[in-house]
Amino acid sequence: MATNVQAPRLFRPAPRSPAQLSIVRSLLLTLPIVLWSLLMFFRPGSSAAPSSRIAATVTALFVVALFFMMIRTGTTYKWRRAFFVAVGLLFPVGFIHEVMVMRGSMGIPIEEMIAGRTPFCFLPIPLLILPAAFTRSLVFPGSILPNGGMSGGGMAAMVGIWLGITLVIGRGWCSYACFFGGIEEGMASIPKRAKIRKIDPRWKYGPWAVLLAMVLLSLALFEPAYCMWLCPFKAVSEYVAARSTIGLVQNVIFVVLFGALVIVLPLLTKKRTQCSFLCPFGAFQSIFNKANIFNVKIDKEKCKPCVACQSACPTMSLSKESIARGEASISCTKCGACVDACPRGAMQWHIKGTEPGCKPEHARLMFLYAAWGMAIMFGGSIIAQGLATILNVLI
Amino acid sequence: MAAPVLAGEALLLGLASGPACIAACGPVLVPALLSGHGGVRPNTRTLTVFLGARLAGYLLFAVAAWELGALASMLPGSRILLMGAVNVVLAGALLWYAWSARHICGGSCSDSKLVTIGAGKSHRARGAAALGLLTGLSLCPPFVAAGFRAAQLGSVLLALLFFTCFFVGTAVWFVPFAGLGCVVRNQAVVTVARMTMVLIAVYYLALGIAMLLGRKAYGY
Repeated sequence: MATNVQAPRLFRPAPRSPAQLSIVRSLLLTLPIVLWSLLMFFRPGSSAAPSSRIAATVTALFVVALFFMMIRTGTTYKWRRAFFVAVGLLFPVGFIHEVMVMRGSMGIPIEEMIAGRTPFCFLPIPLLILPAAFTRSLVFPGSILPNGGMSGGGMAAMVGIWLGITLVIGRGWCSYACFFGGIEEGMASIPKRAKIRKIDPRWKYGPWAVLLAMVLLSLALFEPAYCMWLCPFKAVSEYVAARSTIGLVQNVIFVVLFGALVIVLPLLTKKRTQCSFLCPFGAFQSIFNKANIFNVKIDKEKCKPCVACQSACPTMSLSKESIARGEASISCTKCGACVDACPRGAMQWHIKGTEPGCKPEHARLMFLYAAWGMAIMFGGSIIAQGLATILNVLI
Repeated sequence: MAAPVLAGEALLLGLASGPACIAACGPVLVPALLSGHGGVRPNTRTLTVFLGARLAGYLLFAVAAWELGALASMLPGSRILLMGAVNVVLAGALLWYAWSARHICGGSCSDSKLVTIGAGKSHRARGAAALGLLTGLSLCPPFVAAGFRAAQLGSVLLALLFFTCFFVGTAVWFVPFAGLGCVVRNQAVVTVARMTMVLIAVYYLALGIAMLLGRKAYGY
């Protein structure tokens, strides 16, 4: 059953070099992102501390420069990855600093979690559905209010924003907005070659199983079961205060899952293993991949199945079957790795409803504006906050 | 109290408690049904076996509750021990059921022969019966409420009648589960269902062990 997801090294062709745009045209196409960054990072009338202003400036330059390089070079993956890894690494810095200031500890007592005194996290969104449908009550463990406490209206607004973004970019959320995936993507990028190349494709069903199990258990126990038992990122954000054996067991699970799926396995496989094998939110987002307008298509006339795309895909969303079908599978996060890796330009960005191969650069540009705009909104603020925290410590 | 009034009370209690029963049984029932053969009829058969065994669990408990005044006299500590034991056995049954489903869709479900080859129907029925009995014995809040009421009744027959009517009231809520038979069975669905059962089994196992060791688990 095991499938070799890596292309044989000797026969792997070199990636095609896409045509570069001129500097002037690239700058013009970057202009909307410059304006959006100014709006996001430099709000008129705000009196931020010098460290925050420096952090905002650096972040704005960083995100604009990355977008410019995407446009100029015609490649997506490595520039997006730089941003995504920065978000993944700086999120714990800003977050841990915040909770240490607020509570003096990374450990959150269960009463405070029940009271919703932990900041918003999108991962439990799928777990809300059944308890809310049956009881009209939220089991969400977080709050988007600055002083904690649950706000049904606030939650509805947040879920609305998430839904709007999701309908536009689908599971692109997992490559442009998620503040957890960056660490494992960074880890996966460290080794030159994967040590483990044969991965049973059935492991890809893991996130769906976790989603189903957690949704059912959340209803049965009326608690956000994933947050309580399986979230690896508790290890670097806000763990359960271990005041009992159960709390200790929960934290051991968090640390083991983080170590295995976010550190060790990405290093061995060069894949985003937590996203591919565990994350229930990723499975949930995959459903919306069917509903949004962007996807990646394969031009079958150009494609000579060298499986370079399959090898490059960090989420195992390409298989021989999906390549034969001419499109990435439902779990595609639209990271652009396959498009950049294809030596014949057969992998193409595509807008549903248009002919395959119809102006893929336009489709790419439209997707990137939506995805990068959202990335700046979510990830940009995380980078700026993390940098400001570091500057506060250093200066 | 007249039997019809008692039956009506139990029926209403069952109908009112149905959503809680679905919530309690859902983690066991949904993946168990999804890991079986597709089609409404086979699904309904599995569901019937599950509910029948659940009724048996209910009646068993009704007799114990009335004869021994079990619930009323049972100390909270003993009740948690009993729940812990039931959870551990339930975890074992779920793991066995997940293992027994390995042939349901071996390779490709698009090949109808492969769908019919594999675990025998009696084997699957035994699994569904074991899961139904164990979920029937688990002390979820509506069940405990019904148990207390049954323990107050004048005869064991009335207690049995009360639990039967309570069961009928809750069972109505389970009818839509037969619709899971409409979900297409392929390797993905069966594998996801089996993985889900393993995850839930691990959860019940951990919970059961924690209860047996006298540790307080969140949510209980």
